[in-house]
Amino acid sequence: MAASSAGASRGSILRTGRWDATWLLWIAIIAILLILVVSPFVYLVLTSFQAEKTGDFTLSNYATAYGRARYIDALFNSLQLGAGAAILAGVFAIPLAWGVARTDMPGRGFTRMLVLATFITPPYTGAVAWILLAGPNAGWLNRFYMFATGAEAGPFNIYSFTGLVVVIALYSFPYIFIFTTAALELVSSEMEDAANILGAGTWRTMRRVTLPLALPAILGGLIICFLEAIALFASPAMIAIPARFNVVTTQLFQFFGNPVRVEVAAAYAMPLLGVTVLLILVQRLITSRKGFATLTGKGGERRPIRLGPWRWVVFGYAMLVATLSVFLPYVFLVQSSLAKAWGRGFSFDNLTLRNFNFVLFEHATAAQSVINSFLYAAAAATAAVLITLGIAYIVTRRLVPFAEVLGFLCVAPFVIPGVVLAIGFYAAYAPPPLSLYGTALILILAFTTRFLPIGYVNASAALRSLNPEMEEAVRVLGGSRVMALRRVVAPLLKRSLLGAWLLIFIPATRELSSAIFLYGPNTKVASVMIFDMSEEGNFEYLSALALILQLLTLPLLWIGQRALGRDFMLRRTST
Amino acid sequence: MKFLAGFAVVAALAFAPLAARADLKALEEAAKKEGELTWYVAHYTSEGAEELGRAFTKTYGIKVNVVRTTAQVAYQRLLQDMKNNQTICDVFSSTDLGHYARLKAEGKFDKYIPENAPKIDAAFRNFDPDGYYHPTAAGLVVLSYNSAKVKAEDAPKKWTDLLDIKWKGKVSTGHPAFSGYVGTWVLSMRKLYEWKYFDSLEKNKPQIGRSINDTVTALVAGERLVAAGADGSTLFSAARGNPLAINYPTDGAVLIISPSSIVKGTKHPNASRLFMEFLYSIEASEINVKHFGMPLRPEVAGGPGTQPLSKIKVIRPTVEEVEKGIPQVIEQWRDTFGN
Repeated sequence: MAASSAGASRGSILRTGRWDATWLLWIAIIAILLILVVSPFVYLVLTSFQAEKTGDFTLSNYATAYGRARYIDALFNSLQLGAGAAILAGVFAIPLAWGVARTDMPGRGFTRMLVLATFITPPYTGAVAWILLAGPNAGWLNRFYMFATGAEAGPFNIYSFTGLVVVIALYSFPYIFIFTTAALELVSSEMEDAANILGAGTWRTMRRVTLPLALPAILGGLIICFLEAIALFASPAMIAIPARFNVVTTQLFQFFGNPVRVEVAAAYAMPLLGVTVLLILVQRLITSRKGFATLTGKGGERRPIRLGPWRWVVFGYAMLVATLSVFLPYVFLVQSSLAKAWGRGFSFDNLTLRNFNFVLFEHATAAQSVINSFLYAAAAATAAVLITLGIAYIVTRRLVPFAEVLGFLCVAPFVIPGVVLAIGFYAAYAPPPLSLYGTALILILAFTTRFLPIGYVNASAALRSLNPEMEEAVRVLGGSRVMALRRVVAPLLKRSLLGAWLLIFIPATRELSSAIFLYGPNTKVASVMIFDMSEEGNFEYLSALALILQLLTLPLLWIGQRALGRDFMLRRTST
Repeated sequence: MKFLAGFAVVAALAFAPLAARADLKALEEAAKKEGELTWYVAHYTSEGAEELGRAFTKTYGIKVNVVRTTAQVAYQRLLQDMKNNQTICDVFSSTDLGHYARLKAEGKFDKYIPENAPKIDAAFRNFDPDGYYHPTAAGLVVLSYNSAKVKAEDAPKKWTDLLDIKWKGKVSTGHPAFSGYVGTWVLSMRKLYEWKYFDSLEKNKPQIGRSINDTVTALVAGERLVAAGADGSTLFSAARGNPLAINYPTDGAVLIISPSSIVKGTKHPNASRLFMEFLYSIEASEINVKHFGMPLRPEVAGGPGTQPLSKIKVIRPTVEEVEKGIPQVIEQWRDTFGN
């Protein structure tokens, strides 16, 4: 079916010929993509083969990048970290997603709300909270454990590989949750009924029918989690440095240290690119093998599965996950933000508003940094949604030869660690004639590029769920492709697109790794501010600033909910 | 600053050339026209740096974009700026002396000798005879501890005490690849005890933060009990009621003299010069003392509880040793401690 509809599209392009104005739009979008992704990308590859001062061809960067056991270890650490975090995030997310989307578990709305709260918590805020919770001696969990058992030491140590995996998984599982619930909600109960009629029980039906139907989405989520984990910079910097191991991003940060070895860093980033290509290929292989269009324009019936007493078990599990990702962290972030010294605990003589006063009124740049974050994120989200919708449309409807390449380019930025992306960016755009270094524009461009993958994954998922027949109907009746886009595609995807905008906007307000080398004194963003504060271990100020950032996100969520309905960020409704 | 009287390092009293001097009033007027400056600073805690910036703005109406990071991060950002032919940073205040030697040699600084230079304590005068960088802060790396959990008599008295097995899992340090203070401390320990000091320290599994000020948080939280910390940030936190105390190590507190420079090509040359003058003012010294830094002006007394340098044993590597040594010890540190 896929092949025949592609053939039909191609035929219709030929029929309308070169006068279709959409072609100009396509060319513009492709050109933008070349600017955003290809040129920093090309620079990255070229640089990896260039000698530092002369620019001559050399392989010595690779020799340096892989010449020490420490560097190789960091590479393997990242891969393990990515795999560990993705799997653990799957363990957190999939039961929750199934419970919320397919069963009569109690508190489904509440669970969604908590997943949303997790989702809008920046990874470094989560990491800071978990330092307060699971510091080996002073962490609250360990203190409670010692208090309760009388033991000399507590069992938790955030400053460890496991600690880092847990923290990253806790704040990236919403990706898998979103993907999985969206897919599960599209599976009509008729298919499960068919399995039931043929004698399969609830468990077997879930295993053999429901989950396989959602498998592409789950894998998509796992891959996003994996890539997110290996590209994160702040959490490893806060946790892995005291834990005394390196991952790729902290190692890259070292290569950018003194002396600045951009060329070596570029060479060092290459295996990550390889890994992404591989993962994307794997994902495509799995999805393409089962060519199914789950959404055809008419909805099937969907009923929740009755779990009986088991529904409380599923609910308990959801609350456990939420305790780890939301309840505990926020209690202690608030405590710390209101404390003179967080370690002194909950007492009146330890209470103060000094931290809020300092970050809001005394600090030269903290308040402005929050404003900057929101402005740049809004600009970047808008740009990314428009661009990726265009690209996804080109790719899903195969409007140009080798359209898949464009799709790949949209996803590729996810694996270029932000620090490397930043260097690619300013090699390309910082010097004259553009001279964008230290400007807001370079940050916006970098954020746009960085979040193209989220936009693209959303746009293409949404488009793939639209049966091309609907647009073809417009074209058969003589409408142009532009009309089909405007009258059919856009209205159908309106909610998806607004959802995608917020899905980009929110992480963009907390983006650190590409910002850290691109900001200037007037364009400092809140994440950089928080990272700078973490150097000194100023958790009290840091908690205050992080909470301010979170509070400011809430009205936006409210607006989104008014416009798009409750749970808009986590639900992709069927029509 | 009477306590520096007995402390006469490189007190070359030869009078500096008058060439770069400007009339202060004219300077102030010109600076006000420029309106702002950007300050990459590693000298103080965030609070200290911000307070100095605010005070300058209050006096002259000139905005200071305070960018407080660890020394190596500030340096890294400065190098990135330079690589892109951008002059964003106007005044550069690192705690790693090596940065100044290197950048001066590469011609990256503007020469400027503050009018106020002769007014600071003799011990800090004429630090760079060529006038490219000037000490604007000084502090010590000392032994610090959580005084609620460690009795004064049990607290470490000399650097080698940190190697005692009883502190296993209880030691906190910063990271030489970030903090200039820590880098200089590591270098000084290597000079005193060779690298085997750190091989032994590694067995005590220290918690390694980034900034030296991170040790304060680790101690206050009770996460760690003893540390190689900075006197200023530790005493400042103690003055706020946190259970902290310091010991000046008998084998030598590490003295860190931290300079500032005006970056060549600055778009705010007058504001930068005025800011250098300000850092040498009595007001700046008073703010420093509030944050338990050493005052540069002799008119201002040191903070309560600080020991005069004349009464304690102080060690300090030379500029050449720092320039060559810190990059080495960063690598050695990473080999020993894993990152």
